Amino acid sequence: MSNSGEGVGRGSGVTDFHPIAKVSVGQILGLVEAIDEVGGVADVATISQEVDMELDRLGPILSAAEFLGLATVEDGDVRITDLSRKLLHANVRERKAIVRDIIDDVPVFHLITDMARKAGRPLSREEIIEALSARVGSHQAEDLFKALVYWGRYVELVRYDSQSEMLTLRTPSK
Amino acid sequence: MHPLLEVKDVTKSYFENGKEFKVLELVRFDLAERDFVCVVGPSGCGKSTLLRIIVGLDKPTSGAVLFEGEPIRADNPQVAMVFQSFALFPWLTVQQNVELGLEAKGTVLEERHRLARKFIDAVGLTGFEDAFPRELSGGMKQRVGIARALAIEPLLLCMDEPFSSLDPLTAQNLRDEILQLWANPDLPPKAVLMVTHAIEEAVYLADRVIVLSSRPGRMVAELEIDLPRPRNRKEPEFYGWVDEIYSLIV
Amino acid sequence: MRATVRGLRRWLRYVAGVLVLTGAVAAIVFPQAALNALQLPLLAVFSTTRMVVAYVFSLVFAITYGHTAATNKRAAVVLLPVLDVLQSIPILGFFPAALVFFVATFHGHPIGIELAVVFLIFTSMSWNMAFGVYESLTTIPQDLEAAAASFGLTGWLRFRFLAFPAAIPKLVYNSILSWTNGWFFLVASEIFTAGGTEFQRPGLGAFIAIAGRNGDTPSIAIGIGVLAAVVLALDIFLWRPLSAYSERFRMETATGREIPRVPSPYERFRWLPRLPRVRHWILARLQPVALGYHRLSLRFERSYSGHPKVIKDVRRIDLALFVVVFILVVSAGLFGLAQMFLRPLPPSAALLPSAAFLSFSRLLVAYGIALAWTVPVAAFLGESERASRYLTPVLELFASLPATALLPVIVGFALVLTASFGDAAQLAAILIALFSMQWYLLFNLIAGVRSIPDDLKEAARSFGLRGRTYWRRLLLPAITPSILTGSITAWGAGWNALIVSEYIVYAKQPFVVPGLGSLLNQAVFTAPDSEMLLLTILTMIVVVLAMNKLLWRPLFRRASQRFRLEV
Repeated sequence: MSNSGEGVGRGSGVTDFHPIAKVSVGQILGLVEAIDEVGGVADVATISQEVDMELDRLGPILSAAEFLGLATVEDGDVRITDLSRKLLHANVRERKAIVRDIIDDVPVFHLITDMARKAGRPLSREEIIEALSARVGSHQAEDLFKALVYWGRYVELVRYDSQSEMLTLRTPSK
Repeated sequence: MHPLLEVKDVTKSYFENGKEFKVLELVRFDLAERDFVCVVGPSGCGKSTLLRIIVGLDKPTSGAVLFEGEPIRADNPQVAMVFQSFALFPWLTVQQNVELGLEAKGTVLEERHRLARKFIDAVGLTGFEDAFPRELSGGMKQRVGIARALAIEPLLLCMDEPFSSLDPLTAQNLRDEILQLWANPDLPPKAVLMVTHAIEEAVYLADRVIVLSSRPGRMVAELEIDLPRPRNRKEPEFYGWVDEIYSLIV
Repeated sequence: MRATVRGLRRWLRYVAGVLVLTGAVAAIVFPQAALNALQLPLLAVFSTTRMVVAYVFSLVFAITYGHTAATNKRAAVVLLPVLDVLQSIPILGFFPAALVFFVATFHGHPIGIELAVVFLIFTSMSWNMAFGVYESLTTIPQDLEAAAASFGLTGWLRFRFLAFPAAIPKLVYNSILSWTNGWFFLVASEIFTAGGTEFQRPGLGAFIAIAGRNGDTPSIAIGIGVLAAVVLALDIFLWRPLSAYSERFRMETATGREIPRVPSPYERFRWLPRLPRVRHWILARLQPVALGYHRLSLRFERSYSGHPKVIKDVRRIDLALFVVVFILVVSAGLFGLAQMFLRPLPPSAALLPSAAFLSFSRLLVAYGIALAWTVPVAAFLGESERASRYLTPVLELFASLPATALLPVIVGFALVLTASFGDAAQLAAILIALFSMQWYLLFNLIAGVRSIPDDLKEAARSFGLRGRTYWRRLLLPAITPSILTGSITAWGAGWNALIVSEYIVYAKQPFVVPGLGSLLNQAVFTAPDSEMLLLTILTMIVVVLAMNKLLWRPLFRRASQRFRLEV
């Protein structure tokens, strides 16, 4: 996998999906766009005013952007990275590819894709949650599963049938 | 040559307890094939009603709406609508929701799947075809709504406050994507008519802004926004327009 | 875990299927050697088949009726009140009519009786399902309707993609309720006497009833056991999976978990006119007509915009026709009624008021007992997650056993407890009514307790509310609406139970207590008298409607204003 830029999966271990677990792609992209519009760097208070969102809602999105290497936070100033500029000028498909490279490096995501590859068959929701529970506890495992499915689907590395609750790997289109 | 859409002196009244409440009065404007028009006004000025009349879901008390020269009908496949509350069928997957209009049109299976996949891809939801609406975030649900509308390849896309149920970041993200879709000559739609109460949004997106007064909704102005795209909210010309529209409404 | 359970279910299904098949084959091949008990699987199949046939008819009826009432506003004006009345008529009141019709048409051939039984079960299942469909269709979010219309979903497509899926959750829920009702009446109707002749069809109900008549306790026990097994099997293999599947069709609401609610039956009585201020009433009635007329004119503008004169004429004719038909139907009904009353009343009619009073008091006693035990139990179950997990399935199983099947047990029990047959009969009647009423109360109450918002409970706890004060200030007021909803349904069930419970034959002894139920029984089975029959049914309807208008409706209105939990 290609170099994904600074700071992905900071810290150790499997729990590091947490920052992007409850945030959607659209929100992160929107944040990056908003900072770009004011010149590429702004302090958190300004951003909060610009996008008309309270800090407690903005916080998780900022953490997510940081986690993905799309922004850096120093002394209360948020700066977008070259990677995020690349993202902004890409079209929808290219954006997915960029995010795909980033996500693929996250350890817990690896955990699931390795598990699926080793098994050689579709995995059920229970199996995956059981595997995750061993690391993060059952309540968090549920949320983590949903986040993995969400991001996995977005980058087209995962196919999940909600009716039969089975997860398979896939190769991204084009 | 007819303009794509003609709204001719549309008036709408409701009757309650024998009294007449006029919601819209003599609204008149045209829409051409490559237009992006926003209708703005304070809440309660009847703009959602206007949109429903234009799409054919409601009938004007007087006046008429012509699409390509003919009176509009509710199930006209050249006109598609995107709803503020997304209006997705909770028991259908994303792909099934997107195929809804095609199924009603009677399109064959393979073609339906092909078109659905094409537009699911266009709105960036590839990978989520088998998901149910409750698994999606607000922004994604609205993308499904947009894909569903585009899948029937309409000439006119009508949107009823499509971003007002979303958080500001997701909304901004979607606005840009709508512009991208509209600007792409290979994709429908040709024309977009959007109703919103967010004036900044209207100035950001539209070629023309139609301003309605509060009830009864009367046309106060029709403004041509000639700013080049992509537009920047920080530029003085931008908020010059915003100020002007504000002053017209108040 | 879920995968293994699913696998287990599938395996169990196969086993059950094989067992049933073997039992049926054995019973056919060895009729002599087949002891009483061996017949039972076959009898179970017969009884279940009758239920299934009746259910299919109910399903079709409910969807058609509910859909028509929901989409055609004018038809709804007639359809909804009719459904209300149908729901209030005690089911067994339909039975004589069905009997006469089917038996006569088929000249006493068994097919006729089968059809009568199936019809009876049908009438016990259909009405609440039809209401469920109607409620589902009228609560579809407007935007979804608009989306469907704007994408061209009309007619069959609209039904397939919008109306039918929207109705599924309530249909499944009401189907489960209907089946419970159905079992009750199946058991009551598989064997009966009419006009001196005894009619009987092979089935679990007949088996249990005959065993009861002979006082054959072991057979009673086995019969009930098999019935319970069938009910349980259906629950595990059919209803639970269906309920889980129907969750997919629920419209999204704010709260995550939807507690199944028995739909408030009180809502059905909206159409009853308000008595006082007749003048005001008349004015209120006229205004909608005027408004409707105005709306009609707008509607016709749409279709015939070029022909104003045609519009006016068509409008007038249409309105006139509707009024004429309505008047005809109403006057025909009134005429028939008047005719009946003009004839001299049969002498036994004098018994009616006292019978009504006695029946009412019996139900009151049963209701009191039910209330006394269900409120504390519901409070306990609603608050303790663990207790409810273990106890609820057990309670649900008991609740789905029809009280009619338990008849012999209850009567036997009553005999043991009391001195004379007379007392035993009274006790038995009350107990049977109790068994029919208490479950509606219980499950409504449990739902009510569960829906108390957590923050209210926390506030109560933080202010130190305990014991009696807790009950007085929080629990009882909060569940008052549920008590009312449960009570209304319970009384409805109670009236039906009366008919079975006031006239029973056990161990060749008749157990009769004076009351509307026994009068009805006599008018149908032992001393056939169609006038008495009609009068008794009418009395019952009058009492039910009177209770609803004078008691439940005002109580409900006051309770929903004062005790509504704003979430």
